[in-house]
Amino acid sequence: MANPVLSLKNISKNFGMTAALADMSIDLYPGEVHAIVGENGAGKSTMIKIMTGVHQPSAGSLEIDSNAVSISGTSAAREQGVAAIYQEPMVFPDFDVTENIFASSTTEGWIQRRGKLRKKALALIERVGMKLDVDRIASGLTLAEQQAVEIARALSQDVRVLIMDEPTASLSAHEAAQLRRIATTLAEQGVAVVYISHRLEEIFEIAHRVTVIRDGQHISTKLVEDVTSDGMIAEMVGREVGNYFAKAPTHATDETILEVKDLALEGVYRGISFDLKVGEVLCMSGLIGARRTDVALSLFGILPASAGAIYYKGKPMEMKSAKQAMEAGIAYVSEDRRKFGLAMPMSIRENTTLATLAEFLSPRGIINRCREAEVTEAFRERLNIRTPDIEIEVGMLSGGNQQKVMLAKWLNMKPDLLILDEPTRGIDVGAKAEVHDLIRDFVANGGAAIVISSDLPEVLAMGDRILVMREGHQMGIIDNKDASQETIMALATGQTEAA
Amino acid sequence: MGNFFSKINPQTLRILALVFILISVVLFFSTQVPNYLNGRLFNRISSSVAIMALIATGQTLVILTRNIDLSIGSIVGFTAYATGSLISNNPELSWVFVVGYSIAVGAGFGAVNGLIVAYFKVPSIIATLATMALFRSYLVEFSDAKSITSSHLPQWLVNFPNTKLLEIGTLQFRAAFVVALVVVLLVHFALTRLRPARKFYAVGSNPEAAEMAGINAKATVFAAFTFAGALAGLAGFMFLARFGNITVVAGLGFELKSVAASVLGGVNIFGGSGTVFGALIGAVLVDLIDTSLVRWDLVSEFSREAVLGSLILISVTADAVLMRRLIAMRIKREKKKAEAESTREA
Repeated sequence: MANPVLSLKNISKNFGMTAALADMSIDLYPGEVHAIVGENGAGKSTMIKIMTGVHQPSAGSLEIDSNAVSISGTSAAREQGVAAIYQEPMVFPDFDVTENIFASSTTEGWIQRRGKLRKKALALIERVGMKLDVDRIASGLTLAEQQAVEIARALSQDVRVLIMDEPTASLSAHEAAQLRRIATTLAEQGVAVVYISHRLEEIFEIAHRVTVIRDGQHISTKLVEDVTSDGMIAEMVGREVGNYFAKAPTHATDETILEVKDLALEGVYRGISFDLKVGEVLCMSGLIGARRTDVALSLFGILPASAGAIYYKGKPMEMKSAKQAMEAGIAYVSEDRRKFGLAMPMSIRENTTLATLAEFLSPRGIINRCREAEVTEAFRERLNIRTPDIEIEVGMLSGGNQQKVMLAKWLNMKPDLLILDEPTRGIDVGAKAEVHDLIRDFVANGGAAIVISSDLPEVLAMGDRILVMREGHQMGIIDNKDASQETIMALATGQTEAA
Repeated sequence: MGNFFSKINPQTLRILALVFILISVVLFFSTQVPNYLNGRLFNRISSSVAIMALIATGQTLVILTRNIDLSIGSIVGFTAYATGSLISNNPELSWVFVVGYSIAVGAGFGAVNGLIVAYFKVPSIIATLATMALFRSYLVEFSDAKSITSSHLPQWLVNFPNTKLLEIGTLQFRAAFVVALVVVLLVHFALTRLRPARKFYAVGSNPEAAEMAGINAKATVFAAFTFAGALAGLAGFMFLARFGNITVVAGLGFELKSVAASVLGGVNIFGGSGTVFGALIGAVLVDLIDTSLVRWDLVSEFSREAVLGSLILISVTADAVLMRRLIAMRIKREKKKAEAESTREA
């Protein structure tokens, strides 16, 4: 094999007393797709930040072409040919696609020649394999399209090491496949691709080697042929996990909590009809653009439906506002933690009680911090939120732990109906299983849940029934016992229609 | 009609709308004030806008990066005074040196702001609120509370702003106005065509993404404040040349007027979008309304500020509402186009 393009040599990184990385050594070779897996908090993010110059290692060194280098920041990293793409696209909302791609370019000279740039942008977008008008303003693009723009930007620079951090977490199956093809193509062109994903099946599809890290330590690096999914998970969590994809027995009762008849929102979705029993989990599956979130937002009153009827606890109800829905006992956990979920600069305690603050007021209207702390500590224990202190800013936590805080916030409301939008997007296997247990626990104790998920194994593991949508239409509802990844995908892509 | 509006670039549309408002204001006052519409109006407005246009241009650079510079009026005042005292003591100095001195002094103050905001991470509204007072007090200290009077100034300086470079009928293009116009257009060209200038927009549009894209956000913010200071310095020179008499209150209130001009001109107060050319028209509009109200008998001197304030509020609100609609229209149109394309393919 050729010489490694980038090597981490015995790298350690400490934050105060905590060691985020300990004695980490990895070699990255040109032309390989190198998958890195590990639970959230295992040190993947710290590792990326060291490779891209955001953090400096406390000990050890980075080598490029076998020469020790110090990478002082993201610009320096780019100059060395190291670039990263993140799960949440980093685009400039006020720029159009072309401007976004060349926003940080240093090779285009001083004067911008729009025509020339536009041509180059078209070629790059073509390589990304996405249909996209290069004159469109980025704020109007979907997540998937923004991701494509970001990849094109990395392509425009001469990347030698491309780090892809959970790039497919927010993409539909079709788009994710496209993205994996790009990763493979780049590797064929001699780029070292570092691929971080929680979707293990992706890793088997495209990776050449797999490195498992746990608690900041290097556990193993193997050729993909030599690993199994179970073995990998075992190494990641450091213990044998049971089959976390196994379907638990249903808790559904005979009592109907929600009935939806021919719900429609003009120009967005129509013909949505289903019922939901107490104790039941209904999963909504579909590709991006299936409009599942819009249906959820209508049920939660944020996006009132324009036609059809909602019966909640046996009574007809017009959902007009989120406040009304919350008062009725409906909670909605958004897929976008950053935007709609959490107040990042506020503490875990403050976030946990944010939606139910009225219950923590003394008769004089003063917030009872001790009670807040008590409740938050209880959630911390119950949800296994990994943090040294509940006064820590939520923004400092890992994705999985942020998700748990968000769940705590809504569970604290003691809802009867919980709507979860992509509750495990971008969180690791261990945390995923914990979130699943929480949802099961919630319905077993008299709740009902609607779970929107693009993760098919998750849908099969969680949903007592599965409602499949495609482009605003309800394609069918399948019982768990009749469902498989294939039947769901067939409906979601419009290849079949359920009776 | 709707189709036309949704096709055109929002920034261009915004400038067209501003020009339309500008013309409406002129027409309105010409029915209210006798002898309103003539060459003197243009000459008066162009002379006073020369100063504000430069300040608003600097302010725009800062606002683009999601910041604000409240000390800009104090910088204008200080450079006007410092330049005045330099030249009264050394009347033999060449104009190149004098102008360079103003710009350098202004840039120095701007760099102080930039340092505090970009590197010490003090929010710009706080930092420049403090430096506004500090620079002003420094001026009082520096001047020993004495004033500069035009009798101390060399003749070339006093003559400069009113030198006629071009005359079309009664319309006079005076030197100060032409210089300001050239500077504004240069900055406009730089912002729209020069690659490094994109950084101002990038940092204001999404600071995190800018950092990730390898843009040095700190240096960019620092540069924005320094440029703004330099432009305020040049404005200070023009202020000195125009008024001749400089007291310690010179340039007071310019900071808010420059913000008003930028925002009226369509610069997004949250950063990331807007043009310097828009800010220039915004500055003209503010000045036009200000000067015209003085001559309008119906409005007393005391309610002038209120009228100006309401006009700013109305136009900015209308702008925000209209722009949101237009952008929604555009997105809808693009979606339709995309849908049509995808069905054609299928």
